[in-house]
Amino acid sequence: MSEKKVIIDVGDGAAIPRPEDKGLLSAWWLSFVGTLAVLAYLLIFHPDPYLRLLKFLPDGIVVTFQVTIASICLALILGLLAGLGRISRNRIVNLVASTYVEIIRGIPLLVQLFYIYFALGRIVRVPDMVAAIIALGFCYGAYMGEVFRAGIMSIDNGQTEASLSLGFNRSQTMRYVILPQAWRTILPPVGNEFIALLKDTSLVSIIAVSDILRRGREFASESFLYFETYTLIAIIYLLITLILSKFLSNVEQRLSHYERR
Amino acid sequence: MNVVDPIIKIEHVNTFFGSFQALSDVSLSVHPGEKVVVIGPSGSGKSTLLRTINRLEKISSGSIVVDGHALNDPSQNINKIREEVGMVFQSFNLFRHMTVLENLTLAPVKLRKQQKSQAEKYAMELLAKVGVADKAASYPVQLSGGQQQRVAIARALAMNPAIMLFDEPTSALDPEMIGEVLDVMVTLAREGMTMVVVTHEMGFAREVADKVVFMDGGRILEVAPPDTFFDHPVHERTRAFLKQIL
Repeated sequence: MSEKKVIIDVGDGAAIPRPEDKGLLSAWWLSFVGTLAVLAYLLIFHPDPYLRLLKFLPDGIVVTFQVTIASICLALILGLLAGLGRISRNRIVNLVASTYVEIIRGIPLLVQLFYIYFALGRIVRVPDMVAAIIALGFCYGAYMGEVFRAGIMSIDNGQTEASLSLGFNRSQTMRYVILPQAWRTILPPVGNEFIALLKDTSLVSIIAVSDILRRGREFASESFLYFETYTLIAIIYLLITLILSKFLSNVEQRLSHYERR
Repeated sequence: MNVVDPIIKIEHVNTFFGSFQALSDVSLSVHPGEKVVVIGPSGSGKSTLLRTINRLEKISSGSIVVDGHALNDPSQNINKIREEVGMVFQSFNLFRHMTVLENLTLAPVKLRKQQKSQAEKYAMELLAKVGVADKAASYPVQLSGGQQQRVAIARALAMNPAIMLFDEPTSALDPEMIGEVLDVMVTLAREGMTMVVVTHEMGFAREVADKVVFMDGGRILEVAPPDTFFDHPVHERTRAFLKQIL
């Protein structure tokens, strides 16, 4: 009766430090403390330009998070729809969802970003940030769809049968029985996608969205301090993803309460 | 007993899985309060037959009428019919993300719109009846197989079904836990529940069944009261099967 615990690990986010994974956990601490040490060293011993640069970037950090959070919300909604569509018995729904996933997965994100930005620009004038969010949301929705699908499929069919036998219909079964359990399997890869998405928001700096990277480029093009700028930007991205991956690992632990004896 | 109409009426049912015929011209009636035990070798179609009664398996032809509702009539709401037909599975299938108590109250609260407190009160009565009241706050993974199966029985009973279906309820259990589950089933039978039980427990069949159904190769070969069935089986195939297992 012991079901195998499924961990879907999509490799494009960041490594999530799980307590049972001792090697990764100490790697996390090493990276985190090391990064903080380097940051402290730079700010204390080279306040110019690093402190000046650090004061210049917060607006960009806010924008990066705004784009990430809005995109992930869109991606989660599209991903749930795509995932449910991919396992639907309705052929048309299934075909639409599968085609969406196929097309999106076949086009590089940067190309999608340009395409949606300029294509949308021909029809309606949308703010740059909205175009960025739509492009990222649609792209990640397709990947998220596969995560949802795999998570739902990982739940034993006996759960569905038990629910149906009590008188629940298929959508109630999905809502009360399958999704709450699938969420446990889905959360790690979703967290991973969130981190991957946060990193991919750096692409939006190419269209006119003032995220961390674009703010940095603005600073660098005026001061010509390219090395210093990109050093600090790398440190900031790394710190954010390290903190997020630790946070996700904690959430995962709390969600797994019913797996434990 | 036969003066009342049967609560389950299965007539000339055929079921195919692809080109494999799982059920061949199966007919069977179950009257209210009757206990029917279905036995037979594995692959004989006994679980398939049980699963057609709440339409977890669809039939290819024939008809099944449960409590006056024809299962293959598209105007019938299958979910409403399933509320009246409790089912217990070989692998328990408790909802793993819910406590024992939540497993029992989910359907009454969501489907019957019962008050949570009222549903919980009845759930606790049922858990006491099957002897696992002290596990109400536990999660299924914390329970032994025998405890899980007793909770599964209580979960089905929480909807006050008219019929209970048991699909090899003790086959996944360690031997020392089989008794505690069978005891619950015997109690339920004594209280007059209509039961259709697929099992390999011949002692249970002899003690509880009103009639024993023997299946092989997707067909019902013999239907008889337990005394006749076990002591004077008519069919050659039945005799061979009983000889093997007794």
